[in-house]
Amino acid sequence: MGIQFTKVNYRYPGWGRETYGAIADVTLSISAKDEFIALVGHTGSGKSTLAQHMNALMFPTSGTVEIFGIPVTAKRNKKTDYNSLRKRVGLVFQFPEYQLFEETVEKDIMFGPRNFRITEEDAREMAKNALKMVGLSENYLRRNPFNLSGGEKKRVSIAGILAMNPDVLVLDEPTSGLDPRGKHTLMELFRSIREETGKTIIFITHDMDLVYRYADRVLVLEAGSLVFDGTPDKLFRDPDLERWHLDYPATLSVLDNVKKSLGWDLDIYQNTVGKAADELKRAVRRP
Amino acid sequence: MSYIDIQNLSFSYQPKRPILKHIDLAVEKGEWIAILGHNGSGKSTLAKLIVGLLEPSSGTIVVDGTALNPDSAYEIRKKIGIVFQNPDNQFVGVTVRDDMAFGMENLQFSKSKMMNNIAFFADKVGMTAYLDKEPSGLSGGQKQRVAIAGILAMETEVIIFDEATSMLDPTARRELMDYIRGLHREGLTILMITHDIEEALWADRMIVLQNGELFRQGTREAMLADSAAFAEAGLELPVALQIAETLRKSGALTPELEAHLWESSLRR
Repeated sequence: MGIQFTKVNYRYPGWGRETYGAIADVTLSISAKDEFIALVGHTGSGKSTLAQHMNALMFPTSGTVEIFGIPVTAKRNKKTDYNSLRKRVGLVFQFPEYQLFEETVEKDIMFGPRNFRITEEDAREMAKNALKMVGLSENYLRRNPFNLSGGEKKRVSIAGILAMNPDVLVLDEPTSGLDPRGKHTLMELFRSIREETGKTIIFITHDMDLVYRYADRVLVLEAGSLVFDGTPDKLFRDPDLERWHLDYPATLSVLDNVKKSLGWDLDIYQNTVGKAADELKRAVRRP
Repeated sequence: MSYIDIQNLSFSYQPKRPILKHIDLAVEKGEWIAILGHNGSGKSTLAKLIVGLLEPSSGTIVVDGTALNPDSAYEIRKKIGIVFQNPDNQFVGVTVRDDMAFGMENLQFSKSKMMNNIAFFADKVGMTAYLDKEPSGLSGGQKQRVAIAGILAMETEVIIFDEATSMLDPTARRELMDYIRGLHREGLTILMITHDIEEALWADRMIVLQNGELFRQGTREAMLADSAAFAEAGLELPVALQIAETLRKSGALTPELEAHLWESSLRR
């Protein structure tokens, strides 16, 4: 169980199939446990549209998205509680400031649980735990979310979703606008949440360095179609990479350049600076 | 005298929490300066002070010989435009054409001059076909190009890019960088606020802010050589140089490899 897309199409009303953000004939299975998935593709390829189908914020034009056993199709079923799906699959939008609106961080994080009819006392406890999970101290509970830095706002908006204890966490460009240190801190946070809780984490990004370093699985969208589903290692060996408007990760480009310019015999497929350095060390020592 | 002359500039919202502390900075006409620093280092505040969107707590900013103050801010804004991070936060017009006209209307340009400038600068950024479209239907990269065209149409001398590429995908980012390089070649003064070291390498000079202070400044070669300072400021070196540093620490960096990694990082 988890999320199953079967021949899902989505067209924006009044637009054709080839337009911005549409999705076309996507079939895809996402496990409810223990996945770390990067969703990539250039602007307008349908990434955000696909993400919003994962918790029934959007309904397909045709095809079925089955979310924890509950089918979501073009025709809405009056008996289905779609809202309950949004509790199991939490979606964090790209701009946290659009998601924050209460006067304290605590109230903001409590909003979701309260919305799902959880008592004030329990919601308060959930807010405290969620804040801890995103690495912020309890002092933040009383602070005004609008006076926080970009990175802190992101963490609070993620805490707001985590407070509902979803099984699956979907993040739309969580690291955009953050400085390099902030990016890695946030990605390490997702990694630890995944390791500690077994939640499946799906993140949208344009940053291939992050994909290579953190993801176990990559989904590539191109003009709304799912054109690749596999490991990062396989993706970056795929000759179609450039046709999908994707970059090579920096470690790979640097090693490839050394290999070609200096004629060194290297395995260029290294996903961190440390591993790239080790590979070069090995090559230097080799007679 | 420099084109922009900033002396002893400080800013705070609350007296005990300074955001910028005693900044001295001189910008020459036609220069391209990259302003780097971690989130919250004061980069955007500096940009807002230079265009008069915020008032300094102390210190002076002189632009082209005129001291910036509430009375002169209007005149100075003719000379300096700013492109923001989130392309959606800078549109006022119903169409791209209206949007481009907005700044010129404020400056009371004649109707014919406005029409000429719109045609000329929309073409320059490749947006002529979109002049009668709504800005909201454009992609992020197109929005940023419209924002640039609107600023150029006001015949400004300086453009500040405040993380203007950070919300764009890699293709749109490269395109925007191409435009910025073109503007620099034509003599525009560029101040580019960024987290991206690869982008900063295109600048003539790099400035690093940390906790509101001007932490380091210099040529890109000089800055990159100081890897400890980079790390201290919460920044990352280009990946090739991170690899070089890692190898150096374990004594495995050969001169040949070091030269190659440096050269590949600095290639423009």
